[in-house]
Amino acid sequence: MWGVYLVGIIAVLAAVGVVAARQPVHSAISLILNILALALLYLMLSAEFLAAAQVIVYAGAIMVLFLFVVTLLTAGKEEQEAPEILSGQRWWAGGLSVAIGLVLVLILAQTPSSGLGPAGPVGTLNALGAALWGRGFPYLLAVAMMLLTAALGVLVLNRPERPSRSSEPGSER
Amino acid sequence: MTATTWTVAVAVAIFAVGAIGVLTRRNPLIMFMAAEMMWNAAALAFVAFARQHHALSGQVMAFLIIATAAAEVGIGLALIVSVYHRRHRLNIDEISRLKG
Repeated sequence: MWGVYLVGIIAVLAAVGVVAARQPVHSAISLILNILALALLYLMLSAEFLAAAQVIVYAGAIMVLFLFVVTLLTAGKEEQEAPEILSGQRWWAGGLSVAIGLVLVLILAQTPSSGLGPAGPVGTLNALGAALWGRGFPYLLAVAMMLLTAALGVLVLNRPERPSRSSEPGSER
Repeated sequence: MTATTWTVAVAVAIFAVGAIGVLTRRNPLIMFMAAEMMWNAAALAFVAFARQHHALSGQVMAFLIIATAAAEVGIGLALIVSVYHRRHRLNIDEISRLKG
């Protein structure tokens, strides 16, 4: 039980670090810490396969992609935030976000929660696969189509602007 | 406080902090990472409730969230890189006028 408390506090602190960091690289590193803490929480909540998928997909693939883009776009630059166009937008936005959090906390306080009770179904690969290929099959199909569409979308977004220009990476500079 | 309540409270906190990041930061990369955190918070709440109600469907939803986030990262980073190639500045206000 103390582990759940400790890992939760680490996750929230890392989340604050993501938002408060000045450099995007520091944000990315805090996000990796947040993701690893969440993977630990998944393990404690008997979601074994999800913990592994979180580490492999998020901390592995997605964060490597993030770090790659961050180093590509902000290498050797001092990042300063531009002056605001809308005055006071930050304060309004921060207040609204805190209000969202308060509403969620109110909902949480009214939700009845029994104890954990006996160990439920463990989210092993077998159990999750049976659920996905059984009742969750439409979701699986939808996600497959969505991933295909995303791959196509990335290709369309990064196609060369004019046919005369070569599409080799780095040739535009 | 039970483990479910604590975990959902952690998810709520991460969601609210992510919302603050999306709404107040100007760097599109940091905004995007904060949005990723909001996805993660939703997935954490799903897993916590799946544990409490002894139902595996919550974990299925969390799995779908991870897959959706992967697709979103691909598209979003492609958008950020392509905007950066045109404007050469990392500022979200550059995208407010989406014209060439």
